[in-house]
Amino acid sequence: MSLELLLAAAFGGSLLTYLLGKISSGLRDGFAVFVSVILVAMIAGLYGKIGAVTSYYHFMGLELTLRISPLSWFFAMAVSTLGALSVIFSLSYMRDRERTDFYYLMMLLINASMLGIVFSGDLVSFFIFWEMMSWSTFLLISYNRGSALAAGMKYIVFSIIGSMAMLIGMLSLYAVYQTVNIYMLSNLVSSASPGYLLFLLIVFGTAFAIKNAIMPLHTWLPDAYAEAPSPFTAVLSGMLTRMGVYGFLMIMYVIIGSVQTLNMGYGLLKFNYILAWLGAVTIVIPTFIAMLQNDAKKLLAWHGIGQGGYMVLGIAYGTNLGLAGGIFHTLNHAIYIVLLFMSVAAVQYRTGGERDLNSMGGLIKKMPIAFIGALFGISGLIGLPLTNGFVSKWLIYKTLILNGSPFLAFTALIGTWGTILSVYKFLHNLFLGQLPEKYKDIKKSPVNMQIPIVILSLTILLFGILPGLPLKVINSIIASFGFKSLNVTLWGIVSETGSLNTINLFAAILTGCVIIWLILKTGPKSVSASQENTYAAGASIPEGKYHYTVDFYNPFYRMIKPYLKDFMDIFYFKLAGWTQTLCNIVRKTYTGYVGHYVTYIVLFLAVLIFMQLKWSLW
Amino acid sequence: MNDFGLFLNGINPVLFIVVPLGFAFGIPLLGMISKKIVKWVPVFVYSFVLVGALSNIPDVLDKPIIIQIGGFVPPFGINLVAGPVGILFSALIAFAGLMVSIYAVVYIKEGPEVRYHILYLLLLTGAMGVVLTGDIFNLFVFFEILCISSYTLVGYFGNKSGIESAVKYLIQGAIGSSLLLIGIGLLYGLFGTLNMADLARQISSADPVTVFIPMALMITGLGVEAALFPLNAWLPDAHSSAPSSISAILSGIAIEVGLYAVIRILFTIFGISDFIMFFVFLGVLTLLIGEMCAFSQNNIKRMLAYSSIGQIGLMVFAFAIATSHAVAGGLFQMISHTLGKGLLFMAAGYMIIRSGSMKTASFEGMGKRMPLTCVAFTIGAFSIVGLPPFIGFPSKFLIIQSALAKGTVLFTILTGLVLMGTVIEGAYFFRIVQVIYFKKGNGDSERNEAPIAALIPMFLFTAVIIIIGIYPKFVLGILDSAASELLNQIDYIRSVLG
Amino acid sequence: MQIIAMILSPILALIIGIFFLGLSRKMMARIHWRYGPPWTQPIIDIIRLFSQKSVTHGHLFNLGLILSLAGSIVVILFIPVGRIHPLSDSGGMLVILYMLLLAPLGLALSGGEAANPNTSIGISRQLILALGYEVPLLLILLALMTHYETISIVEIVFRQQYAGWALLSSPLVLSGIGYISIMPAILGIRPFEVVQAPQEISSGPMVEYGGPYLALATIQHALNLFIGIALFVNLFLGGAGNPLFFFIKMLVVFVLGIFINAALPRLRIEQAVQYLWRWPTLLALVGLIVVIVMKSVSAG
Repeated sequence: MSLELLLAAAFGGSLLTYLLGKISSGLRDGFAVFVSVILVAMIAGLYGKIGAVTSYYHFMGLELTLRISPLSWFFAMAVSTLGALSVIFSLSYMRDRERTDFYYLMMLLINASMLGIVFSGDLVSFFIFWEMMSWSTFLLISYNRGSALAAGMKYIVFSIIGSMAMLIGMLSLYAVYQTVNIYMLSNLVSSASPGYLLFLLIVFGTAFAIKNAIMPLHTWLPDAYAEAPSPFTAVLSGMLTRMGVYGFLMIMYVIIGSVQTLNMGYGLLKFNYILAWLGAVTIVIPTFIAMLQNDAKKLLAWHGIGQGGYMVLGIAYGTNLGLAGGIFHTLNHAIYIVLLFMSVAAVQYRTGGERDLNSMGGLIKKMPIAFIGALFGISGLIGLPLTNGFVSKWLIYKTLILNGSPFLAFTALIGTWGTILSVYKFLHNLFLGQLPEKYKDIKKSPVNMQIPIVILSLTILLFGILPGLPLKVINSIIASFGFKSLNVTLWGIVSETGSLNTINLFAAILTGCVIIWLILKTGPKSVSASQENTYAAGASIPEGKYHYTVDFYNPFYRMIKPYLKDFMDIFYFKLAGWTQTLCNIVRKTYTGYVGHYVTYIVLFLAVLIFMQLKWSLW
Repeated sequence: MNDFGLFLNGINPVLFIVVPLGFAFGIPLLGMISKKIVKWVPVFVYSFVLVGALSNIPDVLDKPIIIQIGGFVPPFGINLVAGPVGILFSALIAFAGLMVSIYAVVYIKEGPEVRYHILYLLLLTGAMGVVLTGDIFNLFVFFEILCISSYTLVGYFGNKSGIESAVKYLIQGAIGSSLLLIGIGLLYGLFGTLNMADLARQISSADPVTVFIPMALMITGLGVEAALFPLNAWLPDAHSSAPSSISAILSGIAIEVGLYAVIRILFTIFGISDFIMFFVFLGVLTLLIGEMCAFSQNNIKRMLAYSSIGQIGLMVFAFAIATSHAVAGGLFQMISHTLGKGLLFMAAGYMIIRSGSMKTASFEGMGKRMPLTCVAFTIGAFSIVGLPPFIGFPSKFLIIQSALAKGTVLFTILTGLVLMGTVIEGAYFFRIVQVIYFKKGNGDSERNEAPIAALIPMFLFTAVIIIIGIYPKFVLGILDSAASELLNQIDYIRSVLG
Repeated sequence: MQIIAMILSPILALIIGIFFLGLSRKMMARIHWRYGPPWTQPIIDIIRLFSQKSVTHGHLFNLGLILSLAGSIVVILFIPVGRIHPLSDSGGMLVILYMLLLAPLGLALSGGEAANPNTSIGISRQLILALGYEVPLLLILLALMTHYETISIVEIVFRQQYAGWALLSSPLVLSGIGYISIMPAILGIRPFEVVQAPQEISSGPMVEYGGPYLALATIQHALNLFIGIALFVNLFLGGAGNPLFFFIKMLVVFVLGIFINAALPRLRIEQAVQYLWRWPTLLALVGLIVVIVMKSVSAG
């Protein structure tokens, strides 16, 4: 099976889905699921073909190619799987919404473009798919109308700035080396001057930093995540944003190569060191800002930024552990953030789009599956042992500590503790505490929502207990970058400076739980009672009014709030305002008075002649 | 080349000028028979011209077609030079002219219709003459035909703002024309010939300072029509008060023909083959100012007009780099701009009719009311911004590529500025797209699509935009030979004068 | 052998922890000039509670508590008690750090389903306080790990046994003092007793527990006491060659802690965080910088 066929199926499938939607919505839904699932199967089948290159097209005299590397297979697998789950999830979420055909078209188109990005063998294909992804994302972010419009604008403006930077980098490479083929470039570029390489890293880095929302280029993300339709937010947060990580890996370790990248600059001013610090800042500040959020999706969005910091920190640090940790964290993050957004979406679906954390609670009894999804999701996000997030974070911490960067390690670790506060609030305010009166009759989430939630929850546990499964693939990725492979077993990492054995951990915790459960069982049986019953010791109290959610960490908020404004966002808004003013001033050159216009013509002629006399331009 | 024959292999390019001109004068007669026929005349004429232009492409790729009017050998007689550039432009003019005339069949239904169609034919004849002629005075004459008919068409609706902007346009255009004429006169005085090839041959032997004055006059004169900053003040007014079909032609054809004349004079007559820093900066400046003005507009047609200024800036930037890739890129950008902006104006035309206002805010909810028109508009906008897989992408790609191929820091920075213009461009186009699709209109939301005669040209434009966007090699061949014709002065002289 | 250690070390921890609970009540009473309950009182309480009926609020209510206790037990398996450290080759300090999260999170989940506002307030305070002391604590642990160039706690203990206590070694003394200054917060005793605060929020997270649940919660508390002190002994006092010495070191630390507990009033939660982020953090930060500087000096 060739890659062209795969991409043809992906793009063709999206268009066909749209057309089928004009016939019948049931047919469309079925076909959308079919396409996205078949893509997963096709990509899984490509595993054996790693290294295959196909030239599919000639564009402007350039040969465009597709290629499977371990890295692209890894990303493609994640993209297609999460995409398929999101499509399945969308079935009921989108059922009674307008423009559903358009929604599925864009969903599948974005998926297809992402596959195109990761399979691109040359920078032009990469750029083309990248741009297609950008504009279709813009359309889908704006889908919800209202405040979504501003979010969409913010996204697309940042996105265009990023792609333009990338365009400069790509075409300058072409101008110098006469090729855009990534693998030819990787042989040629290594002999370039450090100044030129730094230029490349900066222009490409800008594009990818914007996509991956690295501070201070992160401000598009919270609004975009919050306003996009929730199943799409899952895709957006899970893989689309992480195309930035893919890009960083590509430019740093594939095109320029580890040797050059890691020796760029001097001492503390090394490129990768600065990037690692940007990653570290991106971990800490957004994680703390997340605590202040009262909007479920915004809270997760800020964590999306923060977790992106871990990935960048890991891959920028440039050790085999860090790189493996960064790549693995990309996958892990995708899994749990998709799960979390799905849980929120399930709640939204039943509560009529409610996402205000201050007005919900107690849904655990009504929507148990959504709760389980949220619980596993936040465990992964925190990085509790036995979840996937733990292993990748462990890899990153370990290399930071042992390679002598305790301050970077500190930022990474403190990010985790900041995470706990906000995600507990998230879980508590949605699912725990008292159920408000108005949600008394709420129903369980539909089956098609439960399936992806359960699958993802189990995956979190699976990769947490048997991290060797994905780490085997990641090992081949870092080996292809020229790093030493990790000593990975199915259930952990063996090394002299500290091993990890997750299956032992799992066994220990399981045994502990069983023993305690048995002890609890031997005691007298407990009686189930409602909270109203015990709280006032049997006296009557009004129901549903004793719920502590609003400003969950109020004392703490009062302390940190003044320091945690999104200063960059304010700055960008000011900048946009200034641009607008400047544009208005520029427009005043066209006064509307024809006398002035005639003066312009005369002046132009005069300037032309003056310049020739003064400097003899011709 | 003594062969006078009207029919070589393709249709003789003389007919591209003669046939429309003939029909333009024949229209009043036809109008007496039936008014219905009149509006189909341009459609018929430009179908013929389009076929003719396309049929010539294989020949001109081989060598240019030189036609001597009246059998006088250059430099003594007037001649037409239908090289790759000429045929490229005539095909473009014919295609855009055909599409817009189909559009106008239903769009123009009030006011002096018959005169509209006469002037429309004359406008395009002028444009066609400018791109085909090999004689500089002849160029001036055709240029005047183009300008005068466009002044009139701008005031077509006869309302106050229309007349006002037509007069403003007239004043500036007239000054430009007189400067051009003075320049031509000076050249004639110096060299005693009006044939472009002959001028080109003699000019290298002349004193640069003496030659400079006519050159400056001609550039300024043509720069008015070519919408170079700061000579372009007529453009937003004229574009916004003209009927949308005419805006499409003004934006897509008229200013590009003006720019063609500028580069033809610079490259071919004055033989400037190295890159021209002054024009590089002028291009960037025009681009940034155009985009910034467009950004702060909320009148759709003015916004599109300012965006045209920005696009012209990009083309000037490309031509000024003056490598064969850059010039090809500039020509490609002209094609993509004609298609994209033509599509935008045509779509906007009916959106304005349906909403009753040119304010962008009045387009809220249009996506529901006229879905097909809105898709066309969106694709046009995406193409102008330069997003793949639309035609704007390969053209912008080529320009940026050739700018960066210069390899200097200065050009990298300038390219950065050009792309900053693209960011602004993206911002206002995406804003409109959002308004169209994602804002709930408060007026009636019934489906009220544009008429089929307007949808057909929009559809064809869209199709070409996508097809060339995906397969740019359809046009790359002719673009490359057009670029080498423009840059290679000696070959031009040799092929015309033998 | 390992199996025996696995069974032995939690039991040992349980005994020591519960003994400390009893001891603390007795000592507090004596400091307050009261007679106080016998030191066996917690054991008697636990046995009594197991025979009582109780109220549950749902599955998560049970599961959270179980998870919390299991988390504490597993942490103990990773911490060397004398030479007993059955699971320490499955992960080092980082695993301990993260496993320590299970206990408060489990209680928080369990308490969350109880839906009592006092519980929620208690949990909120618990998490804020944890964030408060984690900042200096992480800096201290990083100083240790950087100094000893390992993430294995066994290795840290081992290195101290032939190079002297970390608390008394020149690069780590500041970190050690820092740890001492945040230990009351880690143990949840006064002046940082904001989480339970019986007079304010009716014991916070514990309020809904009764019968066997309360017994388990008490055990959990005892184990936490053990873990907090055992970590200090291992990290700064060089651990011990056998459990007896280990116990003696713990006892000394604990008795000192009791005096602080008895002498100081309770802080408000903001005051607690402000304190923790000021002096202990400064000490820890300077400590870490000292470690880095000394390392780079000795490296040349």
